[in-house]
Amino acid sequence: MTETEMDTTTRNTNAEEILRVSGLSTRFFTQEGQVNAVSDLDLRIERGEVFGIVGESGSGKSVTARSLMDLIEPPGEITEGKIEYNDPDLADAVRDDYPQAVDGEYVDLLEVPADVRESLRGTSFSMIFQDPESSFNPTLTVGEQLAEAVEVQRRASARPRSTRAKTQDYTLASFALSTVLPSREYVSEESRERAIELLEMVGIPDPVERADEYPHEYSGGMLQRAMIAQALAGEPDVLVADEPTTALDVTIQAQILDLLAEIQEETGMTIVLITHNLGVIARMCDRVGVMYAGEIVERGTLEDVFDDHVHPYTEGLLGSIPDLEGARGRLQPIPGNVPSLLDSEMEDRCYFADRCPNAMEDCLDHPPEYDADGSADHEVRCVLAERDYEESRALPEGYFGETERPAADKHADPDRTEEDVQPERAEQPVDDSGGDRL
Amino acid sequence: MSSDLSDATGAETADAASDADGEQPLVRVEGLEKYFWENDSLIDRLLGDEPVAVRAVDGVSFDIHEGETLGLVGESGCGKSTTGETLLRLQEPTNGRVEFDGENVYDLDGSELTDFRRSAQVVFQDPFSSLDPRMTIGDIVQQPLDVHDVGTEAEREERVRDLLERVGLSVDQLDRFPHEFSGGQRQRIGIARALALDPEFLVLDEPTSALDVSVQAQVLNLLDDLQTEFDLTYLLISHDLSVIRHICDRVAVMYLGEIVEVGPADDLFEDPRHPYTQALLESVPRASTAEQDRDIETLSGDVPSPRDPPSGCRFRTRCPKVIPPADLEIEQADFRELMDLRERIERRDVSLETVGEDGRFEFEDGSVPERDVSAFVTALKDRLLDRDLPAEHDAVVEEALTELATSNWDAAAETLRAEYQSVCERENPPLETPASWAGADVDSSEGEDHPVACHLYAESTRSAPEPDP
Ligand code: SF4
Ligand code: SF4
Repeated sequence: MTETEMDTTTRNTNAEEILRVSGLSTRFFTQEGQVNAVSDLDLRIERGEVFGIVGESGSGKSVTARSLMDLIEPPGEITEGKIEYNDPDLADAVRDDYPQAVDGEYVDLLEVPADVRESLRGTSFSMIFQDPESSFNPTLTVGEQLAEAVEVQRRASARPRSTRAKTQDYTLASFALSTVLPSREYVSEESRERAIELLEMVGIPDPVERADEYPHEYSGGMLQRAMIAQALAGEPDVLVADEPTTALDVTIQAQILDLLAEIQEETGMTIVLITHNLGVIARMCDRVGVMYAGEIVERGTLEDVFDDHVHPYTEGLLGSIPDLEGARGRLQPIPGNVPSLLDSEMEDRCYFADRCPNAMEDCLDHPPEYDADGSADHEVRCVLAERDYEESRALPEGYFGETERPAADKHADPDRTEEDVQPERAEQPVDDSGGDRL
Repeated sequence: MSSDLSDATGAETADAASDADGEQPLVRVEGLEKYFWENDSLIDRLLGDEPVAVRAVDGVSFDIHEGETLGLVGESGCGKSTTGETLLRLQEPTNGRVEFDGENVYDLDGSELTDFRRSAQVVFQDPFSSLDPRMTIGDIVQQPLDVHDVGTEAEREERVRDLLERVGLSVDQLDRFPHEFSGGQRQRIGIARALALDPEFLVLDEPTSALDVSVQAQVLNLLDDLQTEFDLTYLLISHDLSVIRHICDRVAVMYLGEIVEVGPADDLFEDPRHPYTQALLESVPRASTAEQDRDIETLSGDVPSPRDPPSGCRFRTRCPKVIPPADLEIEQADFRELMDLRERIERRDVSLETVGEDGRFEFEDGSVPERDVSAFVTALKDRLLDRDLPAEHDAVVEEALTELATSNWDAAAETLRAEYQSVCERENPPLETPASWAGADVDSSEGEDHPVACHLYAESTRSAPEPDP
């Protein structure tokens, strides 16, 4: 970790980092025990980039997204780390009251009160989800709801968060808003027009008509667009998109990805894109982090990760995708299952070692992030960055044979699957083809 | 996933349907239709009380040869899963015929039906959604053996052990419950259960859609091995084009209840003919660094409702290649725009009252005052069109929109229809191997069977009233 921090400070001197996440740990305290969903995670997001986080279920990618958005709810908790947001105005506003939260132009969001964080939602940070239904109230028209979003953002930004007194004001006001607003009289004509503009911006044909329709009258793709419009209402700096196209058909997915890319280009917004789909990453992102068992195991530019990857997990992921263009051959899956994130079962070793074809004695110490060949951003949490695989140091077969593993490999439901860890006996890897491919 | 046998049948002559080589397909589907009737409140409102047919599957025909894997690919709501269920007789068809091993599946009863149920099995995306969660996996795999009264109790237990081992689970897990397993393991259990009665034919309905990609790869390899080992014939239903390409010998593409193209997998992926297949393939983001430089033309709009499918070619409301009238000089993109406009006017999907800023136009008795008409038309055109059209077409549009100034929807639609009616809306193109294709670049790949349902390939049938069979 310290290595990483030193690296990152020497790098990226010209690109401004809008978000600096250091040592973030998010844990869930469940009946089965403590689940380490995200462990000691570092992230540097540059202003205006599209940063991708890719991983399978249980990798912690969605929990990372929710941690950024301050959406972790009990039994979950951010137990450690900093989430620093670069905003000189905010830094000035909170410097006197919370000096420990401020570092130059950066404010550690975990060190300011919840209502300050809340005031950033929508205007500084926004999020879109896999399932747009969750973002809309079925009994109000889409236009009304967008107008509300606009209204809330207007009021929030009209109220500078400069003093404590005003922050308290805001809390009261937002309470009032949330109880009173679902009624169209409180939505001004101006907000309504802005809502229609937003619908137009996200490519909804004839937004004037559509604004008066209810969510159920929208198709899946249109509602996804409307949700994007809602997220854009407050002109956020950072958009966190959690599996934004996973529930969509492929032709609609292409439309939505196009739309996000267009909006990003026009507004210069920063996007953190969370997905299990490496194709979506390749289409959209500038840089990418691959997550496994709550950590980023490999990160860098697209070239670093797709062409010059070092981590055997990255290799395994890419080898598992059936090729759309090539001829048929045998896939090269990763043997075994997603690991347990139960604290009591996580050993202090490389978390991938039990599935890794290259596991050696060296891997029994938890590896730090090493610099790897390629761009300056390329880092890998794997000993192979430092030394070649040596047969003589390989762990004997069946070394991890008796460990317990969880049942969780659905990616459809981040809330449930990432916490729902049920131990079970290890499965004998049925597929032996994974072992001889490097 | 091809065995030698399927290679031989997959590359059959263009005449495959008539069994030129004398070999009968294992499964033959002819004109299969499955309609659902619905009358829910929203529909009620729109259409009164009449029950509405949802044409989930609307006349599909295909063959599956022994030992091959046929892929059925399409987006949600295209009818691919309903096709799978109906051909297994898990649903009653509205119309059409399915032959299995030469017998009409819908005529079977008694022991013949039982035999069919043994020979044709299905693997669903979530194999346990319909099973009792209190059953152990041993019971689950053994249940079909019990139902069909196969062998002695000891033999059945032995069979269950073999099956579980074969799909990669350990026998000491027999007494565990489904919820104790990961998604990948559950799918292995589902496969073991489907294999219990030693079937010939498996319908795999999105078997890996809920799985992570690393686990999906394990299951796909397993399915591949099992096919070879047990001489299985597969119908793979999936929305995932990469999976389809990886596994299938031949592929059928569905759109809105119909098959629009069928062909050998390599052919279809390398040389997709139907504009929908082309768009579908283009839309898939590739996991490669070259992806960002790949230009893709995304399809506009959504899939129309199967309650009221478009006339003619069902893809015409989104097709970037929709065919203009023969005597019309027009750019393709302009024509597409005009067709979209017409579609909206025909559906009366434009709110005239809100044209212009802040109630600029008074709408009295459905009409804009005479003096405002031309401003109204300009404002409306602005709102409805994304492109500037050439003067000639612009004039037609203005004429149509002028009708809307008096809410004369029919006249507006008629104005556009008279000028821009496409063959794609008049006739539903049949699924056939293009005759004119014989002379084109593909005649090198000898004897291929790759029919497509699109007027672009049917010049001859359009001019000749009686198409040559
Ligand atoms: S550290 Fe060792 S076990 Fe872990 S991924 Fe690298 S080689 Fe494999
Ligand atoms: S028939 Fe016409 S609308 Fe249909 S796919 Fe062919 S060109 Fe497109």
